[in-house]
Formats: sequence, C-alpha cells, structure tokens
Amino acid sequence: MDLDRSSQALLVDRLTKVYDDGTRALDELELRIPAGCFFGLLGPNGAGKTTLIGVASGLVRAAPGHVFVFGHDAVGDLAARLLVGVAPQEVHLDRFLTAHEVLSYHGRYFGMGKLEARERADELLEAFDLAAKAETKPNKLSGGMRRRLLIARALVHRPRLAILDEPTAGVDLELRHELWRYLRRLHSEQGLTVLLTTHYIEEAEALCERVAFIRSGRIAAEGTPTELTDRFGGQRLEDAYLEAMRA
Amino acid sequence: MSTAELRIRQRRGALALAGRETRRVLSLWTQTILPPVLTAMLFLAVFGGALGARIRHIEGLPYVSFILPGLLVMTVAGQAFANAATSLFQAKNEGYIEDVLTAPLRPWQLAASYLSGGLLRGLLAALIVAAGSVPFAHEGARPELAALALVLTGLVFSSLGVITGVWAETFDQHAFIANIVITPLALVGGVFYSARTLGQPWATLTRLDPIYYLVDATRAGLTGVHESPVWISLGLLAAVAAIVFSVVTAVIARGWRLKA
Repeated sequence: MDLDRSSQALLVDRLTKVYDDGTRALDELELRIPAGCFFGLLGPNGAGKTTLIGVASGLVRAAPGHVFVFGHDAVGDLAARLLVGVAPQEVHLDRFLTAHEVLSYHGRYFGMGKLEARERADELLEAFDLAAKAETKPNKLSGGMRRRLLIARALVHRPRLAILDEPTAGVDLELRHELWRYLRRLHSEQGLTVLLTTHYIEEAEALCERVAFIRSGRIAAEGTPTELTDRFGGQRLEDAYLEAMRA
Repeated sequence: MSTAELRIRQRRGALALAGRETRRVLSLWTQTILPPVLTAMLFLAVFGGALGARIRHIEGLPYVSFILPGLLVMTVAGQAFANAATSLFQAKNEGYIEDVLTAPLRPWQLAASYLSGGLLRGLLAALIVAAGSVPFAHEGARPELAALALVLTGLVFSSLGVITGVWAETFDQHAFIANIVITPLALVGGVFYSARTLGQPWATLTRLDPIYYLVDATRAGLTGVHESPVWISLGLLAAVAAIVFSVVTAVIARGWRLKA
C-alpha cells in the first residue's frame, strides 16, 4: 500500500468531509492522480472540488490517513505541504507586499533561503510576463495579472503537484488562452503533476490527459477524455459529462 | 526529505513570517508607532506638567514618576494587542492568510511569528516613551526588571491579540475587545493610582486585574516602589504568558475559524 501511495501524486482514500453546519461536502471519495499527469476535475458548484483541494493543501480540516501526496499524509505530515502548490479559486494576495515580494515571501514561508527565493521570484515574474510589474502592489495590477501572479505564487517553492482551482473562472477568452499556454508549458517543461478544476469542459478537453467527474462529494467517473466519451456516449467530453451527471 | 531538513525549512519559514510582521510595523510607523508615543507623551505632559504640581506625591514618588511605568505597560499592552489582532484579522478577512496556512509551519511557529510584530510594536513604542522620560528616572532603578515585565506584557497581550484576530469575524468584534476589555483593564490596573489608597471593594477589584501586577512589577523596576512581591508577580505573569501562548498554539493547530 505504501509503494502504491508514493507512486501517486495524489491518492484519496475514502475521504469524507462534513462541515460544521452539517453539509456533507465529500462522501467517502476515492481518487488517484498518477505522477506527471495533467488531471482535470469537473463537477457542478457544490460538488466538493474546492473542499478536496482544501484538504490536500491544508486549508480544510480533515482526519489524517485519507489523503496522500506522493505518499505523505496531507493532513498529518507537514512535509506534504512542500510538495503541493495551490492557486485558490479566489485571488487573495498580500496587499502589503509588491508582486516580487509576494513570490519571494511565499518561497521563504516554504523554507527557501532569501537569495534563492528572490532569484526564483525573478524567474517566475519573467515566465509569467510580470517582470515589468515586479515592484507593483497586487491591488494595482489588472485582474489577469493578479491571476497570473497567483499561479506563479503556487509554483515558487517548486512543488511536484500544482493544484489550480478554476484558474480561468471569470476571465476573458484571450486571457484564458494565455493561461492555457502557461499551464501547458508548466506541465511539459517541468514535468509537474497538475490538478485542474474547471467548469469549462473544453478547457479540460484541451489540457487534461485524464479527467474525473465529481458529483455530490463522490467521483462519478474517471478516465481519459476518450475513455469517458466512449463510456457515456456522445461526440465530445461535454456530452459524457452531462450524461454522467444525469446518471 | 529528512526531518532535519524539514525543521530547517520550517525555521526559515517562521523567520520569514516574523520578518513580514515586523516589516509591516516599521513601514506603517505613522499608524503603528507614532500615535501611541504621542498619546503616552501627552499623558505625561498633562499629568506630569499641567496637573502634576497639584497632586501630592504617591508612595513617595512625584506623580509623573509614579504613572510613567503604568503608561509604559499601557502602551505595550495596547499596541501589542492591536498589532497582532489587526494583522491576523486583515490576513484572514482579505484571504491572504491561506498563503501562510498552506506553508509547512508548525502551529507554534505560526503563533510566534504573528506575536513578533505585536511585541516589536509595543516595545518599540514603549522604548521611545521611556527614552523621552529619562529625566524622571530614579536612582537605584532596575531597568532589567522593568524590561522583563514589559516583555511579559507584550507576550500576554500579543497572544490575546492573535486569539482575537482569529476569533473576530467583523471589524466591530475586533474593536469591541480592544475598547471594552483591554482599555478598561489598563485604566483600572493601578496606572494612575495606588491600590493601597483605595477602599473596598475597589482595592480588591484592582488586585484582580492582571495588568495591576504588570504595572507594579514595572514600577518596581523603574522606581523601586511596589505593592506586591515582585518575583511572585513576575512568576505568575510568566505562567500566564505561557498559558496564553499555549492556547494560541492550540487554536491555530485546530484551525478554529481559520480553516473550514
């Protein structure tokens, strides 16, 4: 079982999460994301996507022993945090810091040395076309820039698993395609495992090697886009998704 | 990754967060340092200069010398509390605390880092006030004793600030604790009067106020005058600081009001 756990970027084993108000967000959820995979998680609002991401990244309380990141217990072992980089759905950036500092402080919170964190921040600002805004505070950046800075922040400490929670929600078509370009590059050049949640089926179809449909806190189906289309019928992943949600 | 390497990374992370907190205090000095220094100086000017001559000596001390230690405690307590509570409340309310919560820091390291800004703000403001009050210094003073009492004050009130920052869901709740609990406790903690001069039940009520012991120990350090056994007061206050810090650590470890 341990070998199995460490071969998976993310292994979720019968994870249940019930919030204080009684909402059952996750219901014995099972999921495996192979290392190096670009993985899409699709589901309607309230299906449990953000809760699952929260547990994997330490933002949501859960019992230990159900979520493993490269074999490390995501709840009980703080070393797991070093392996995960998360870009949450909402863009929250420290307004007391400049764009460069947002990145360098993040690296230092994750244990990088000062110089190493600065150099990594320079590198990512360049990669995300934000170098000209290095000394600008987040509240002075455009929405697209803030979104890119948030994704860059998730990558500063060189995680092996990047979790991007609806990174293109509410952004215009042009920026969405720009972000896709960044995400593809991240995956192909750095061999990063990517977990992407999205409401845009075409986005998952364009980017993801494997996709899971989540409904009411459980995985309803999982496979490559082709496998899912074959299984549920229809021409496109969207048809398979709608069929799976109806089933 | 080895445990030793993880520890090193956690230590660096905690120092970075403490650095961020102290930097915030220094960069916002017109909001964090200047106002409490001015307030304390005005108290000294009004009570020491304008009214001091009309008030008889208390415990054998000129009135301005009597109130100075209490003003330092009030400054440290108020500023340490305000800084820790505000910084954490802002981080939580604006959502960027998630950057810190996803980091591999241990709960006590998170707690200590948030405390550090409050401690710096309170002690720096008090140091400036104390430096401006050198003319009121007394022979035979033991500044190290006063420094210890002020550090304990900072620890206790920074910790309370962190708890308040975690608990508060609105700015009103945050301000409520500062205005309804901290300020009144400071004002009735024997800053401006000696508990020995009070009748009952006021003398007993004053002695139930923890700030009274902080003021008394600081006064012992700066003037040699005190009403309670100083080392017992300091020992008890160290115990209170340890308990409050443990509570902060437990609150953060549990993720109460920080994590869903």
